[in-house]
Amino acid sequence: MTTTLPAPPRSAPAPGLGLARSLLRLHRSALWCWLLLVVALAAAMLWAYGPGYETAAADVQEQCRTDIEACHFPGGPWLSRYSATVALTTLVVSFLPLLVAAWAGAALVGRELENGTAHLAWTQSVSPARWLAAKLAVPALFVTVGAALLVPLHRLMWNGGGDLLWTDWFDAYGFRSNGPVALAYALCGLAVGVLAGLLTGRTLPALGVAVTVMFAITQLGDQYRPSMWPTVTVTGARSLSLPDQALQLDRGVITDDGLRIGNNMACSDADGSVADLRSCLAHSDLADVWATFHPRSHFWPLQLTESGIVLAVAALAATAAFVLLHRRTAAAGAAV
Amino acid sequence: MNTGQLSRAGLPFRAGLPLNTGLPWTVLRLHRAALIVWGVFLLAALGTLVWEVEITADAVRERISACAGTGGLCRLRVAIDYGGTISWVSTLVYYSFFAVAAFAAGALVGRELENGTAELAWTQSVSPTRWLAAKLAVPALLLVAGGTVFVLVFRWAWTANRDLMGDDWTFDDVFAARGPALVAYGLCGLGVGALAGVVVRRSLPAVAVACGAMYLVNHNLEVHREDLWPKVGDGVRPESHYWPMHLVETGIVLGVAVVATGVAFWALRRRTG
Repeated sequence: MTTTLPAPPRSAPAPGLGLARSLLRLHRSALWCWLLLVVALAAAMLWAYGPGYETAAADVQEQCRTDIEACHFPGGPWLSRYSATVALTTLVVSFLPLLVAAWAGAALVGRELENGTAHLAWTQSVSPARWLAAKLAVPALFVTVGAALLVPLHRLMWNGGGDLLWTDWFDAYGFRSNGPVALAYALCGLAVGVLAGLLTGRTLPALGVAVTVMFAITQLGDQYRPSMWPTVTVTGARSLSLPDQALQLDRGVITDDGLRIGNNMACSDADGSVADLRSCLAHSDLADVWATFHPRSHFWPLQLTESGIVLAVAALAATAAFVLLHRRTAAAGAAV
Repeated sequence: MNTGQLSRAGLPFRAGLPLNTGLPWTVLRLHRAALIVWGVFLLAALGTLVWEVEITADAVRERISACAGTGGLCRLRVAIDYGGTISWVSTLVYYSFFAVAAFAAGALVGRELENGTAELAWTQSVSPTRWLAAKLAVPALLLVAGGTVFVLVFRWAWTANRDLMGDDWTFDDVFAARGPALVAYGLCGLGVGALAGVVVRRSLPAVAVACGAMYLVNHNLEVHREDLWPKVGDGVRPESHYWPMHLVETGIVLGVAVVATGVAFWALRRRTG
C-alpha cells in the first residue's frame, strides 16, 4: 500500500506540504476507506439512477398490464431492490457527518493525544497551531471533494425517481443529501470531532462525544429547518389548495373579532370553491382562514441559510479547538 | 491511570477461585466513565417516560379539549408532541445496542489488546478466558437488569395513553422495546463487539466492524420481521401475532449473541494458546 504514495522529493519540501504528506501517510487506511466508500456510494447511486430505475419501472409497468391491482400497489423484486438502494445510499450520505466526526475525534486527534505522538510532533519543529491546521485542512479537502461528487449524484438519483419514489423535497435525510448542507454538516463533523478529540484527549471517549454532539446538531437542524427562511402565508380559498409539493407548516382561522388562532382546521374541508368557503365562514363566525407553508422554490434559500448556520458552528468549533490548544501548550511551556 | 488499574487487576487474585470478587470490581472501576454515561442515559430515558405519562399527558388533554370541534388534525398535532417524545425515548434506547457494540469492541476488548494491557493482565494469574468472562459478565448483568426495567416501564408508558399516540405495535422501535428483544439486542451488541475486538485487536477498526455487523443483523431482521410468523388468511396480521413474532426475533438475536460470544472465546483461546 505504501508503494502507491509519491516518492519523497529530492529537494526539501515546503514545510506545509511535508506536514500534509505525513498526515496522509499516517491516515492512509482512512484515506483508502474514504475512497472506497465514495466509489461504492457513487456506483450504487448511478446504478439506481440508470439501470435500477429503468428495470424497476419496466417491471412495474409489466405487472400493471397483467394485474390491475399492481397498478395501484406497485411492488416486485426490482422495485424493492431499487428503493432499498435509494434508501440505503440516502441514509449513508445523510449520516456521513457522523462518520467524519467519529474518525476526526478518535483517529485524527484523540489517539495522537492519548499515545503522545502529538506531543512528540510538537517538539519536532511543527508548532501545535500548524499541526492542528494541517489536521483540519487536509481532511477538509478530501471531505469537500467527496461531497462535491456525492451530492450531485444523489440529486440525480433523487430527482430521477419520478413516480417510483415516494419522496418529498423536505424529507430530512433527502434534504441533508441534496445540496450544500451535506458538505456543511460534513465539515462541521470534522471540526466537532477535532474539538472533541482535544477536549477528551482520548480515543474512544472522543469518538462517543463527537458522534453524540454531531447527532444532536443534525437533529436540531431537522427540527428547526422550517424556521430558517421566511414562510409564506396565504388566506381565503388559496389556503385550501396550496401549491404542489408545498410543505404545510400551520393552518388556522381569523375570527370575526380579528383574533388569529393557529392549528385550527375549521372550514379547511370546504372544497376550495369561494362560495363553499364563504358559507362555512359565515356559519362558524369566522372572518377568514389561513395557511403557512414553504413552497418548493424555498429549497435553495433553505439550503443556503442552513449551510451558513452549520458552517458558522463549524467555524466556532474550529476556533475553539485552536484557542484550547494554544492555551494548553502555552501553559505547558514552549517545549510542551 | 492504567498502571493503577493493573496493579488492582493483578495483585488481589488468588488462582483457583472461579469468579473472584476482585475481577468484576476491576472491570467496573476501569470502565466507570462508561458506567456513569450508561446510568445517566437509562435514568434520563426512564424519567422522561414517567414525566410524559404523569405530567405532560394531562396538559396535552387540556390543549386537545381547546381544539373542540375543529377537526381531527388539530387533535393529532397536539398529540404528536406527546407521542413524539415517547417515540424518541424508545428509538434511542432500542438503537443503543450500537453504542454497546462500539463500547465492547473498542473500550472493553480492542483497546486492551491493542496497547498490551490485556497481555499484562494474563501474566498476572488471570487467564485469558477468565479475563474475557469477567469483561462480558459484568456488562451483561447490567444490560439485563437495566433493559428489563426499561421494558417494564416502557410497556406501562406505551399503554397509558393510547389515544394520544399515533404509533402502533408494528413500529420498529415499539416492536422491539415492548419485550425481551430489547435486552437481546443489547447482549448481541456485547457479544458481536467482543468478537470484533478479539479478532481485529485494534480499537477503532473493531468499533467500525462491530457497528457494521450489528447494522446488518438489525436491518435484515427489521426488513424480514413480517416473515417471522405466518400471516392469517390473505396476508392479515393480527396484533395477537406480536408475541410469536417478537419471541422468534429475540431467539434469533440471542442466537447471534451466543454464537458471537462463543467464537470470541474460541478465537481468544486459539490466539493465546
